Amino acid sequence: MKVLVLNCGSSSVKFQLIETDEELARERKDRILAKGLVENIGGTAVVTYQPLGARPIKETAEILEHKVAVELSLALLTDPQKGVIRDRGEIGAVGHRVVHGGERFKSSVRLDDDILEGIEACFDMAPLHNPPNVRGYRAARAVLPDIPHIAVFDTSFHQTMAPEAYVYGIPYVLYERHGIRRYGFHGTSHRFVSLRTARLLGRPADDPELRLITCHLGNGCSVAAVKGGRSVDTSMGFTPLEGLVMGTRCGDIDPAALLHIAAREEIGLAEVNALLNKHSGLLGISGLSNDMRTLLEAEASGNARARLAVDVFCYRLRKYIGAYLAALGGADAVAFAGGIGENAPTVRARACSALEPLGIRLDPAKNEAARGADTEISAEGSKVRVFVVPTNEELLIARDTFRIVSGLPPM
Amino acid sequence: MIVSTVGIVGGGTMGQGIAIACAGAGLDVLISERNAELAERCVTGIDEALDRDIAKWRHTASEKKAILARLRTFTELAALRASQLVVEAVPEDMALKAAIFAELDRVCPPENILATNTSTLSVTEIATRTGRPDRVIGLHFLNPVPQVPLVEVVRGLATSDETFSTAREFVRLLGKTGVEVFEYPGYVTTRVILPFLNEAMHVVMEGVASAEAVDTSMRLGYGLPVGPLALADRMGLDEVMRWMQHLFEELGDLKYRPCPLIRKMIRAGHLGVKSGKGFFEYDENGQMKPSRGRP
Repeated sequence: MKVLVLNCGSSSVKFQLIETDEELARERKDRILAKGLVENIGGTAVVTYQPLGARPIKETAEILEHKVAVELSLALLTDPQKGVIRDRGEIGAVGHRVVHGGERFKSSVRLDDDILEGIEACFDMAPLHNPPNVRGYRAARAVLPDIPHIAVFDTSFHQTMAPEAYVYGIPYVLYERHGIRRYGFHGTSHRFVSLRTARLLGRPADDPELRLITCHLGNGCSVAAVKGGRSVDTSMGFTPLEGLVMGTRCGDIDPAALLHIAAREEIGLAEVNALLNKHSGLLGISGLSNDMRTLLEAEASGNARARLAVDVFCYRLRKYIGAYLAALGGADAVAFAGGIGENAPTVRARACSALEPLGIRLDPAKNEAARGADTEISAEGSKVRVFVVPTNEELLIARDTFRIVSGLPPM
Repeated sequence: MIVSTVGIVGGGTMGQGIAIACAGAGLDVLISERNAELAERCVTGIDEALDRDIAKWRHTASEKKAILARLRTFTELAALRASQLVVEAVPEDMALKAAIFAELDRVCPPENILATNTSTLSVTEIATRTGRPDRVIGLHFLNPVPQVPLVEVVRGLATSDETFSTAREFVRLLGKTGVEVFEYPGYVTTRVILPFLNEAMHVVMEGVASAEAVDTSMRLGYGLPVGPLALADRMGLDEVMRWMQHLFEELGDLKYRPCPLIRKMIRAGHLGVKSGKGFFEYDENGQMKPSRGRP
């Protein structure tokens, strides 16, 4: 089946056309036929499109709404020259990335009006993400009304967390009134990486004794503790701000410091929110960049603040790995994914340093060589095995979509 | 109609603020000024305002770049024809606004909406200078525009429901709340705040309490972020006086009569933050100097 995977932001639409079915997924032969991105919707949009094995094409167009962006994506996919399918009828289903599914959505689900209402009920908790996700769905439904649309949530994988992991130490009534609890994000990535890691270990993903720690390190970063294929804890919380230090997000911080900052800097809540989400993290500490590659280069040429930023990043990551070793009572494997996790050996090495007494030992040469492909990087005899596992959220969205449309149980 | 490009007439303080709010929301912005020098000054003003925003953690350096990239300045009104909605933000002078609206009406496609940022002049009267009074509306932004989450969406006598809903949707797109107001002197915000400021001045004039004591009382007593006299200083005492005078003339009620103290202060050149002295004293950055008086 050819599945159109859509990821709609407030002014962007990312799309991939993926061919998958049960056998292709088992053989890992499902493949991306084409992918593209429409940016700056609402004005002069930039459209990037790349069919399988061809060079990317870039063009600009006046695009005022998501519906036009979806139309354009389909026009590219069916274009006689650049396209990869003859007509829209070849698309069997659409898989939508939806950021927040709250407590209602514990797995991917076929979209209808009732489900849509449930997603809209989460607008409050993801004001930047859920509304454009829904706008994207409405646009796609208008353009492709006759095929199933499936929602795949960033939060649903973590819905298996126990109350002790998701309840904050604040009055319980706030959870009851406003749903203030830890939800976790990057769920699709953690699920993909944990499934893949289980396979690399040669064990069934739902083996109840299988304990994995998955680290998704991109511009946003999170760690998850996964046991028997179920998330038992993750570092992001009510919003993606909690946990690790990220590109521009601060991660864990004493909330009382915020009250003090607001008073001293004479700023309001909106500015505090921007300060923590956009000015902090690697960018805020280094004063230089939110890009790990830039910081590693700067560190190598003696920039002390770049070094500090990387040190804080790696130390926080190490603490979380340690915490999840405790949460799981040890682990069979740790997996690194995401732009940083897949491409920065020094970050992996620094995050795992001093963890030898806890059973984690890297092979420096293997670690240094591993980039962008499934690779084991732990030393021979390391009690906890360590892998680099490139993540692929779109692929999992496509596989989920196929399974739901075909009435198969979730992976 | 969806607004994706906004035209702004006048690159002064309000025009700059509206431009930042629009570009910050991802809209393309075309600004028209009288000449190249004023256009340049407008861009410099926006640049500096964005730097202050960065210092206050409101924007990042890359957001500033994106905002500036969405702005273009021109020296003729005809350039604004490429926008779906034009906001006029020139000084409060009916003859000037009338001429601008007549010209905008001539150069802009007939379906486009023409809005005025006036706080005192009549939207209905301005609309008569165009051949599309149903597509003329008031959008009363408050200073500083990027930070104030409110816009009064003011209906003139002929403003259509469609124009109103497009304008309100535009305001929502800016992340602000639009309140529906029917044209009447002072609308809601100016009408309600001015007598409050005026009364505070009377209290000082009558020797009931010092300026510090009045502001402290109102701030702490009612949880206001700023006291009435500091607010008047920020608005400019000459402006406050002018608005009061306007309400007094239009509505004729003694409750709008400007406090004699403000006349005296203006004659002394004490205009508030912009002159360094009003009810309080200010440094060159507009920061209030520590008061010598006791609350």
